[in-house]
Amino acid sequence: MKKILYVVSLLVIASMILTACGSAATEAPAATEAPAATEAPAATEAPAATEAASSEPADPNSLPRNETLYFNGQQWGSVVGWNPYSTSNNNGMAIAQQDNARVLMFETPYAYNMLDGQVYPLLADGPYTWNDAHTELSFGINPAAHWSDGTPVTADDVAYTWATHVKYNTPTGAANTAYIEDIVASDGTVVIKAKLNDDGTAVNPLVVQAYVSTNYVIQKAWTQTLEERTGGDATALLADTAEDVVFSGPYSKYFADDSKVVLIRDDNYWGQDASMFGKLPIPRYLAHTIFKDNAAGTTALTAGEVDVSQQFNSNVNLLWEQDGLPISTYLPDAPYQIGASLPTAFYNLKSPGLDQVAVRKAIAIAVDYPTIIANAMTDQSATFDQAPRSLMNPTAGEQALYDHAAVADLQWAGNDIEGAKKLLDDAGIVDTNGDGWREYNGQDLHYVATCPNGWSDWQAAIEVVAAAGKEIGIDITTNYPEWAVYQTVVTASDQPLPEGYDIFMMWSDGAGPTQPWSRVRHLISSEYVGMAGNWNGNWGQYSNADADALIAAIPGMTDEAEIKSAYTDLVKMYLTDVPSFTLMYRPQSFHTVNESVWTNFPYDGDGTNPPVPPMDLMDGWGVAGLYNLELVNP
Amino acid sequence: MKHTLQQIFRSPNFVVGFSIFAVIILTVLIYPMLIPDPPLKIIAQGTFFEPGIYVNTYDTFSAPAYTLKLEGADSKRIASKLNDEDRLAMQKWLVGFGIPENEIDIQNTEALLDLWNTNFDPSKRFQGMTNADRNYYIRLNNSVQGLLSTAPAIIAATDETTGGLVETDRVQQSDYINVSQVSNVRILPLGTDNFGRDVLTELVAATRVSLMIGFVAGFVATLIGLVLGLVSGYVGGWVDDGIMFITNIFTVIPSFVLLILISFSIGQDKRGAFTIATVIGFTSWVWTARAVRSQVISLRNRDHVNLSKLSGHSIFYIIVNDILPYIASYVVMAFILQISSGILAEAGLSILGLGPRTTEVPTLGLMMNWAMIYQAHILGKWWAYFPVIITIALIAFSMNLMNTGMDQVFNPALRD
Repeated sequence: MKKILYVVSLLVIASMILTACGSAATEAPAATEAPAATEAPAATEAPAATEAASSEPADPNSLPRNETLYFNGQQWGSVVGWNPYSTSNNNGMAIAQQDNARVLMFETPYAYNMLDGQVYPLLADGPYTWNDAHTELSFGINPAAHWSDGTPVTADDVAYTWATHVKYNTPTGAANTAYIEDIVASDGTVVIKAKLNDDGTAVNPLVVQAYVSTNYVIQKAWTQTLEERTGGDATALLADTAEDVVFSGPYSKYFADDSKVVLIRDDNYWGQDASMFGKLPIPRYLAHTIFKDNAAGTTALTAGEVDVSQQFNSNVNLLWEQDGLPISTYLPDAPYQIGASLPTAFYNLKSPGLDQVAVRKAIAIAVDYPTIIANAMTDQSATFDQAPRSLMNPTAGEQALYDHAAVADLQWAGNDIEGAKKLLDDAGIVDTNGDGWREYNGQDLHYVATCPNGWSDWQAAIEVVAAAGKEIGIDITTNYPEWAVYQTVVTASDQPLPEGYDIFMMWSDGAGPTQPWSRVRHLISSEYVGMAGNWNGNWGQYSNADADALIAAIPGMTDEAEIKSAYTDLVKMYLTDVPSFTLMYRPQSFHTVNESVWTNFPYDGDGTNPPVPPMDLMDGWGVAGLYNLELVNP
Repeated sequence: MKHTLQQIFRSPNFVVGFSIFAVIILTVLIYPMLIPDPPLKIIAQGTFFEPGIYVNTYDTFSAPAYTLKLEGADSKRIASKLNDEDRLAMQKWLVGFGIPENEIDIQNTEALLDLWNTNFDPSKRFQGMTNADRNYYIRLNNSVQGLLSTAPAIIAATDETTGGLVETDRVQQSDYINVSQVSNVRILPLGTDNFGRDVLTELVAATRVSLMIGFVAGFVATLIGLVLGLVSGYVGGWVDDGIMFITNIFTVIPSFVLLILISFSIGQDKRGAFTIATVIGFTSWVWTARAVRSQVISLRNRDHVNLSKLSGHSIFYIIVNDILPYIASYVVMAFILQISSGILAEAGLSILGLGPRTTEVPTLGLMMNWAMIYQAHILGKWWAYFPVIITIALIAFSMNLMNTGMDQVFNPALRD
């Protein structure tokens, strides 16, 4: 009797699991028929997997903890697709073609390392070389590299990827055709030909160089299948969910629904070849539960259910100092993270009064930056004493690119209420009618400072900016529109900014192979003045011909002293004209780890060479950290 | 009237509720006179300072020192830097380093520190030791440096001519100061919040604003409900049908959902405290209207009303003079409940981020919202949100008590 009951209950459980998996497969919004076919057998095998050999993949709903690395802060909402040509996959674990490209499933020829500013070969074979005229960049492909279907990765794949980007005018194609003439494969070598100026020099060698660590190599054969399927229609090609995509990276899709995303290791990954990593990455599964909000993610992190957190956890140090949890960040003490980008307050230079340098500078020097860093960022930013204000991020590489002494007089530490008042008084901007607010051209200085609603650290920072205004007789109130409204208004640079956007916050570039040049360009270049759909920068519409000339010239410069002097001049212009001002430093990725299960995550001084950057073990050279992980209790 | 008031104040429920409410109102009125700081002033550089007495360290140097020879001062000092857990952790490290466990006496501070100082090496890692452990040992090592020293701490100033340090004072371990003699002491009974604002000052201001929101919302809701109920109940006929049609529609739509939709569509830039209060009022009049209507229906055929009708009085006159006084007690009670639900509605909206604009005024809901955004509940910073919850609960509790007390007096069915 007991045996019958046992069998019956087993049957019931098995059928429940089957129905659960079945419904998940049909519910998956992006599912075509292909995934259902691949998932179904995994589901039927799932119950057996726990008992049988561990090589069988586990049930995605009960992954073995000591083979799974859990993340948070990367994926919000369900995955749309797996198409590396598209930028609307909402697939935070697998696809991000950016300065520090996400190389878990798809790979770039080179991986960028924000710590030393170098790129390291990934699919490529050895370092790339420029020809003597600095117009053609070439590199080989690692002969060991092969796709998930076993065929080798070739130079032809790189060339065809580019040709497809251009043919269908994908976002990658559109962003690079002004700088890259063509990418061709000759004798197994990839040659990237730069677009040339009339004088025969490359338009922008920096962007050409960045291409190799920013953009994925996609298989030619699969691309052709995709083209066939979509009939050459660009919209259909970009909208394809690409469930059948062929990849070269160490992980691929295993499970995705509206509650979690799981990637599984490809045990045939080419990177185990001695010429690359020499072994497979340690965790078999990479899983990301889709959390409702930051608080839910933090709770999971403190409970040890998340190993790697890419989230702003306020007062992160209390998690170990006060709660004694095995949690740590890349740096043991404040600022805890490596700052890379510069969240910046832009002035609308067309607002009455803000066209005056004195007003802009007065507000900027009156702001209490230590309070912003301590309160809004809970000390997770370098201070302006540690990294004085410039156009550079706090990394040593960028700090060395300008002459600190030459601009020391122009910098400010903030909280300088008296200095700000004097500046305004000297400029004749005083309170004549005695209402407490200064006037310019007979009009009270009244501004609205704004940032998107719900962006808590930015909102807290904007509050401090507003408080500074009141101290110096400028009425600044705050307002937080929803992001949907905010982004439409701020990026419409072809129209004047409406009322309520006098001082507004936006980001700047972080760390990457074109930095700091690209950040400087995005902060002050006048090429974005009047641009519709301006997602680049200079939203306050600043223009300075001298700065434009320097920005255009820097990519072609090769002499280090010349580059340094150009950057120093740009910093001087920026600090003199104050078209915008940095409020804090923010890391490229937040990188907080819980060592309840896994240990040996990258940390400052961990002895890795080249140093593994704190990029959550997935971006750029940060992926190398996956090979160093160890279990705390093996 | 006097008799009614006497009766009301004889109800224990009402008296308790009224006392709590009076204390809240008095605090809101008197506190700003005693501590006139602007409630939204950012005073702390850092988030969530614990409640306590903050003594200016710099000023303590110039305050007169007193020598007190107190028992156990040393052991307290040591315990604050090196507790039992730390001792066990030290032992674990030393054992991992290879020192036999029986040679480590963790209760003997001197011997333990000796052993520790001679052996500790931050670069050493043994099996199972995480980077978090390593960071902990480094912090522990720093905190125990000089722990057993009995030498005074030296205060020095920079010599402007030479740039060197010149000793200005020595602080002995037995030196005490009298807090009342330090020129700058700030008591933060409820600590600071995520912006670095004094929570108590903010809480008092927020209570005032929330009470005002509740009052305005209650007033608007009661006014609409009362007018519609009176007209509908007294006039009857198609007017009644029409009004009840609208009322019923509003009854089936959950008012909080309506509130969320309206608040969202107003947009953050236009959501002042007063706007929010009005919106709350406009979405919560339904039950008042229905209750007033049913009372009026039972009143309108009373003799005195008919008499008034025969005397040729206008509808307005009859409603105001012959009907309203009979339902006044109910309306007052409904008003009190509306105030309390208005405050709760504001708190609910603000927690969802749909409350009044942030910088102008603090409200109870906004304080909770920001405490949540900065994860005070996860970090255990209870003072940022718990006093707010208590305040909201006390306001709602006192009003409900007053309401119950009045109900006992006015409702014949409940009268003793």
